[in-house]
Amino acid sequence: MSETVVIAETKQGMLHSVTAELVSAANALGSAPTVIIPGTSDSAAAAVAELAGVGRVIACVGDCFSTYDAASWAKAVDTCAPAGIVVCAASQNGKDLASRLAARRSISVVQDVVAIDGSTLTQPIFSGKAMQNIVLSGDAVISIRANTFAAVGEGDGAEVTVMNQSADIATAVREMIAKANERLDVAEADIIISGGRGMQDPVNFVDLERIADALGAAVGASRAAVDTWEEIPHSMQVGQTGKTVNPSLYIAVGISGAIQHLAGMRTSKYIVAINKDAEAPIFKHADYGIVSTWEEALPILESELKALLG
Amino acid sequence: MLTYEGVDFYDIESQLSEDEIMVRDMVRDWVDEEVIPNIEEACREGHFPEEWGQALGEMGVLGMTIDEKYGCAGMSYVAYGLVCQELERGDSGLRSFASVQGSLAMFPISAFGSEEQKMHYLPKMASGEWVGCFGLTEPDYGSNPGDMITRAVEDGDDFVLNGAKMWITNGTVADVAIVWAKLDGVIRGFIVEKNDAGFSAPEMTGKHSLKASVTSELVFQDCRIPKNRILPDVKGLKGPFSCLNNARYGISWGAIGSAQACFHSAKEYTLSRIQFKHPIASYQLVQNKLAWMLREITKGQLLALHLGRKKDDGSWIPEQISLAKMNNVDMALEIARMARDMHGANGILDEYPIMRHMANLESVKTYEGTHDIHNLILGRWITGIQAFTRDL
Amino acid sequence: MMPNIAVLVKRVPDTNAQILVSGDRVDLSNVKWVMSPYDEYALEAAMMHKEAQGGVVTAITLGAPECDKVLKDAKAIGVDRIIRVWDDSWSELDSNQTQMALTSAVKEISAEVVYCGKSAADTGAGSTGPGVAERLDWASASNIIGLEFEDSGIEVIVPAASGNARTGISLPAVVSCDKGFCKPRKPNVKGIMMAKRAQVEVLAAEIPASGINIVSHTPPPQKAPGQTFDGATNVPAVVAALRNDANVI
Repeated sequence: MSETVVIAETKQGMLHSVTAELVSAANALGSAPTVIIPGTSDSAAAAVAELAGVGRVIACVGDCFSTYDAASWAKAVDTCAPAGIVVCAASQNGKDLASRLAARRSISVVQDVVAIDGSTLTQPIFSGKAMQNIVLSGDAVISIRANTFAAVGEGDGAEVTVMNQSADIATAVREMIAKANERLDVAEADIIISGGRGMQDPVNFVDLERIADALGAAVGASRAAVDTWEEIPHSMQVGQTGKTVNPSLYIAVGISGAIQHLAGMRTSKYIVAINKDAEAPIFKHADYGIVSTWEEALPILESELKALLG
Repeated sequence: MLTYEGVDFYDIESQLSEDEIMVRDMVRDWVDEEVIPNIEEACREGHFPEEWGQALGEMGVLGMTIDEKYGCAGMSYVAYGLVCQELERGDSGLRSFASVQGSLAMFPISAFGSEEQKMHYLPKMASGEWVGCFGLTEPDYGSNPGDMITRAVEDGDDFVLNGAKMWITNGTVADVAIVWAKLDGVIRGFIVEKNDAGFSAPEMTGKHSLKASVTSELVFQDCRIPKNRILPDVKGLKGPFSCLNNARYGISWGAIGSAQACFHSAKEYTLSRIQFKHPIASYQLVQNKLAWMLREITKGQLLALHLGRKKDDGSWIPEQISLAKMNNVDMALEIARMARDMHGANGILDEYPIMRHMANLESVKTYEGTHDIHNLILGRWITGIQAFTRDL
Repeated sequence: MMPNIAVLVKRVPDTNAQILVSGDRVDLSNVKWVMSPYDEYALEAAMMHKEAQGGVVTAITLGAPECDKVLKDAKAIGVDRIIRVWDDSWSELDSNQTQMALTSAVKEISAEVVYCGKSAADTGAGSTGPGVAERLDWASASNIIGLEFEDSGIEVIVPAASGNARTGISLPAVVSCDKGFCKPRKPNVKGIMMAKRAQVEVLAAEIPASGINIVSHTPPPQKAPGQTFDGATNVPAVVAALRNDANVI
């Protein structure tokens, strides 16, 4: 049984809830992990120590952790973390750190693990069109997809050690800029919410835009909407002579789902349809269909998404 | 709609060189990104986007079989054919632009022009900076160009042209026109530039076909050009016919592209369209039609590829080009009509490319030698007897 | 200045390809192969860097001879040198082996900056850029959405927790590229003819033993059949399903 090390996930210095899932993944590998929590202070260490299934906690404290810098974080965390199978979150920074840590230790990195069964790890490949099942032949760094392991609950409290460990940062943040609110193009987006003639008036598309902002999605339109309303430009059109899209999630609001539109989006991974007409053909193609007017459904959708995603 | 990945049932690709495949893919991607999303609007407006001509120049596919010394690509005729195929998958009008520029305007300069003419005109035409056109057909002389009445007379250091040409692709936007006219009763080629005195090129309007293409008249009213504008190295119909052979060769590939577009759309549509609870692609009559289309496309491809290799090694004869042009355009038009039928009422909308291709192919079947003229070209080759005219 | 610029490119199945699992392995015999999409942005970044500061661009790939195609594609848009790292005895390399091989090539050409795509379309891992940087002991920036060239290094824009961070980096560095911050240039016939004539340099490298063993490939879990719910009161349940079952938000 290999030792495991969890690199706690933090967000702006605070412990991220996904850490409890990482501990669970480490437990699935058969051990109570050493949890390293990087930060400019040890303030988050106590919360980690409260998690069930934790072996011990090391607060890795250093100035370099004030913003994410791959090189310094890898150096500092590597010094604090014992050998073993290292478990990170498969977040943007988590995967980045995992790679540098693995390279530093000359071991493999296995990204986006979604299941652990005994010694077999499973990760998606080809954008999830197939799954790869592997076993490790030694230590490795692995990253765990959010929401695939149940979070551990509360435990008896683990021992906390503080190690002061900084390293020189290699990149210098000069300025934070607000994320641009540019509308993503439908051809580029991984999530699309589209409106059809059922939206009744182009001004109502602002309701779709707010949901798109919450999701980081693009706003699309059916040909019917584009043809009927000048305000809805052709560049938003999804369908035969508009764009063919292939997002992970396609939300069709007030769109009947006639063949021309369908042709443009039917290969979407997941389709959600909102339409007041229970007979609308789109429901035959939707993974999740909601028979409802958009006026009733969209406000609830918006508030649920904002609550979930922040 | 699934991304287009070619229709290549007999794996023509295995017969292509690496660079031919790369050129094909370069144009295929450009057509997918720039042309297909915008072509229906261009067609509705009856407008050929100038920037497409420039994009073709930047890609280096104008006059692409001409020598690199003149700023051209120096690539094979098969490569040229593949480019025509991909362009016409987008629109026949777009491919017509490239055919006219490369095979009908640049080719005669490269084959029959002086070295100065070649160095002066070809590089700028290759880049798309100067657009060319080809003036052979007249209002009263189409299949019978030999009896044309546009004439040139010598006057001091100039030639003066009088007459009119009709059905001239690119004419109104052309910087350069290769004009065939009779000098002392002998057909010669002349380079006319757009600002030459006495030359105008009004656009022909009211077309139901090749709408995203500029079709023009060329009018010469005492049009005066310097003597150095005559193409020195050719006399008689041989000149224009050798240009037409080149263009016709490209069209034999281009028509395949149009057929492929219609086939691809028909396949996708019939797989998605549900009637009586099943996709109509599951019904036998529909499968019969799809299979017929695939047969015709495959035959056409093999014809064009073999012809292309003969063009490249010089072992071709014009009648072989006639056979390919007429066969492939004919099959493409039939495929377009069949595809319209399979799309049902949806086939009449410009939501689908079908009727645009169908209407375009009516022109393609007539220009560059009508279907029946090519029939007679082959008939003459087979029998030794010309059947164009009653004067045997 | 004349920087020595490297760009890592990878041959992958087209992202629209149907991926079949045959027996216990994926069957890629009928897929269309392309350059991994994010790599096109990395290539463009490398060419932009050369346009800004001069120097030489080398495209490097790891793979068997069929991978020469992506190098030729890179040559067709104007890179100077094309290198493939491979040994015929290699197969199914893990991240450790892959990164060591690529690092060895980067060192051999004395590159000062390396561009790569933020992740490859087949693995979606995103490990190569930062991993190579670590082995070179260089700075790295990943998932960049902006790039400017300066006398003393580069400035990138990277997504951060509270917004986008405009970040300065001194070279040498490895930069992994997201899409959108530039428009990948297209090849033209001249480039294609140069690619036709170009020679791929094949390099060897020392790699360690593999740290993982691929046991099998399996098809993805079946999607549950579609469900239709009556009334907007079901919206919260659908949102939960999108998060917990579908994992798309």
